Amino acid sequence: MFAMHDAADSRSLGDRWAIEQIAALGPRPESFLAAQPLAVAARWSATGCNEQGVWGRCSGASAEPYDTVVDHVQVAFACTCPSRATPCKHALALLILWSRGQVGASAVPGAAAQWLAKRLVAAPATNELDHDAGRAAASPAASATGQSSPDAAADGLLSERTAPPDPSSSRDDRVARMMAGLTELDRWLDDRVRTGLADPTLARYATWDALAARLVDAQVGGLANRVRRLAGLVGASPDWHERLLAELGVLHLLAVAGRHIGDLPSALGDSVAAAIGWQVKQADVLGGLPHTDHWHVAGRSDVREDRIEVRRVWLRGRASGEWAMVLSFAAYGNRLDDSLVVGADVHADLFRYPGALGLRALVGRRHDTSSPVRLPMPEHPGSGPSRVVTIRGACEEVGAAVATEPWLDRYPATVRAAPTRHRGAWVLADHTGSVPVSTVSSDITTLLACSGGAPVTVTAEWTPSGFIPLTLHLDDRSIDVGPTADPSFVAQAVGA
Amino acid sequence: MIRSVAAAHAPSRAPLNHYWDDMVTVALLGTDRRDPPSPPSGGLADLAADDPQRTASERLLQQVAACAAVVRAGFEPAEPVGGLDPAPRDDRPVTPPAAAATWRRIVSDWPVLEDEWLVTVGATGWRLAPELVGPSLARHRSDATRYARVLVASGPLATWIVEHAPHLALRTKKPPLIELIGAVPDLPITPELQPLLRGEPQHVAGELASAFHARQLTVAHRAVLINLIARMDPGQLAAVASELDRVDPTVLAVGLAYALADLARLRGNMLAELVLPSPAVMPAVVTTSGIPPLPTAPASDH
Repeated sequence: MFAMHDAADSRSLGDRWAIEQIAALGPRPESFLAAQPLAVAARWSATGCNEQGVWGRCSGASAEPYDTVVDHVQVAFACTCPSRATPCKHALALLILWSRGQVGASAVPGAAAQWLAKRLVAAPATNELDHDAGRAAASPAASATGQSSPDAAADGLLSERTAPPDPSSSRDDRVARMMAGLTELDRWLDDRVRTGLADPTLARYATWDALAARLVDAQVGGLANRVRRLAGLVGASPDWHERLLAELGVLHLLAVAGRHIGDLPSALGDSVAAAIGWQVKQADVLGGLPHTDHWHVAGRSDVREDRIEVRRVWLRGRASGEWAMVLSFAAYGNRLDDSLVVGADVHADLFRYPGALGLRALVGRRHDTSSPVRLPMPEHPGSGPSRVVTIRGACEEVGAAVATEPWLDRYPATVRAAPTRHRGAWVLADHTGSVPVSTVSSDITTLLACSGGAPVTVTAEWTPSGFIPLTLHLDDRSIDVGPTADPSFVAQAVGA
Repeated sequence: MIRSVAAAHAPSRAPLNHYWDDMVTVALLGTDRRDPPSPPSGGLADLAADDPQRTASERLLQQVAACAAVVRAGFEPAEPVGGLDPAPRDDRPVTPPAAAATWRRIVSDWPVLEDEWLVTVGATGWRLAPELVGPSLARHRSDATRYARVLVASGPLATWIVEHAPHLALRTKKPPLIELIGAVPDLPITPELQPLLRGEPQHVAGELASAFHARQLTVAHRAVLINLIARMDPGQLAAVASELDRVDPTVLAVGLAYALADLARLRGNMLAELVLPSPAVMPAVVTTSGIPPLPTAPASDH
């Protein structure tokens, strides 16, 4: 079921890249940041796209604008700028514009047409080979090693910057590269526990960044993100050694599981693959069986992960009681998906990604196209499953989920409990027990005001450092108190 | 398997906790200096026996991974704790959700309306929606008069919240201007615009639109025009919004005209939302004499 592929696989007509796929193309972490200021429509003219390429003219610091073309099927770049980086910031900026839908279809200008035609002729005949070539070229490692071709294309203005033919462009070689990355990660972890966590090099971001960069090169980007997050743990709390050690243990677990992915049960293997960073084509997900229900939008949380803002929207089926998570991503200046409004009900088909828990999902057809109805969260609906649990019940739900996927770092629960203080910290408590509230990013005062000291129904997100309140379900409305993206980083909806 | 190991350790977590603490110590020092501890009997010991590792560091990593998974999967709540004293009762009706949405719009786009919004909430007998109490207190911690308006509109809930969240306490020693707490403050409006505050609605709207078309009003007049709309008779707002919406798009300051139309519409909606639906629920009017003592932050927080 799980298809190993990467960004280049989903390049069919009309299937624009996701912003995180573009971010992964940057030869260096700074490349994507450098491209973002250029990704504004005002800097570009003569833009256009078709099913093979996207092109445009960027006004930069020089007197002459730069002509940029990207082959988004086989993943190659051409630009008249003097940069030797592949892809250059202009190509990345053009792709960002395209992914936002700010580049419309148009006739291909002469130079770009010739360059794209030349690539089409040179491309292997079968789709399978096309995809493999794309994979190799799309990988940051391949991009980083790409050389400018001396062969001037078209009228000589555009020089191609595709990666040279790579002997490791097959799927097997890609898997081998990932396995090597997992082995390297495990060796690094082994060195850390051998020399001790008191090693002062762990306090330097560069230590973690260097490892993360190597993991990106090995195309295990999911692990790279986890490694970058660990840099912030060091020295952040009195018990940081303990928390760091637990996370290193989880990384070891993933490194070992990733190397034995073929021996794992299919669903668990899919979960491991997703956790280490392999992506599944949206088309494959949408080709699965739909799960149709009235989905209650139970909570939302925004988290900045490296250079991208990630929005998690937690849905719960009114009939099935099952959880699902819809992700959206936004780079600087981009908009997060705000089509799922907290407290609303959406009657829709949901398509789940493969995995043991199968939490992540895509929203397919919406059956009710009228504006979403806001309904309160039912506590104990008729014969259906109970939605609201006790604190102990929430711990059991979280525990069961973590037992299925031990690397899980977020899981929702809807509880009826009161916020209160215990030993100087905020907790959510009821007669069955209490759990800590993570106050770093949560709005405790709104939770406090709405409860007035009494129990309230709240959807919260479990994390290893505590529960983050996301939504307060009152009798007549739901109040979104989840962590919100920095408005100076992401674009806001008009009227929001 | 993980759950069963967690369940086996559930009755007494002591050996597992002790083992974890020992592993943290070894990890801090490094396995070059100290050997990892032996796992307690049970699933973790079985794992070590079934999948023996060659080196001390590999043994430690294996056990750390397994133990972290077991501890997280066996996640249990701490003991129940007593709740907070309940907030004092306040029987006034809560401002409707639409009013809460309008408040968010006001603080984001048209803060000039916030004073009037708060004064109207207090004067008409609404109680500030609880989700707005914390953000309102936080916004006005440095302004005693506005802070007092929030207290009036929030009732005893505000004082209760500040008791538990002291960072929301007033941060200025300057006393509030008592006479202004229940009054909408005046805004500067130039003498030539004063007649438009109370004129006949269609006439006022027509005058404003004509002035835009004649280029007598430009972006240089933005501040006073905003003040005018924010203080004009509410009966004029609908006509003004409608007329300014129809200003010719080729007019120089058309953007300002449309923005003022938006302000007029928002203010009209704001006042309509804050009319109590039924006289039967009308509570006793909150007067300025009923302002609770202003909770102030400790001196060290200043």
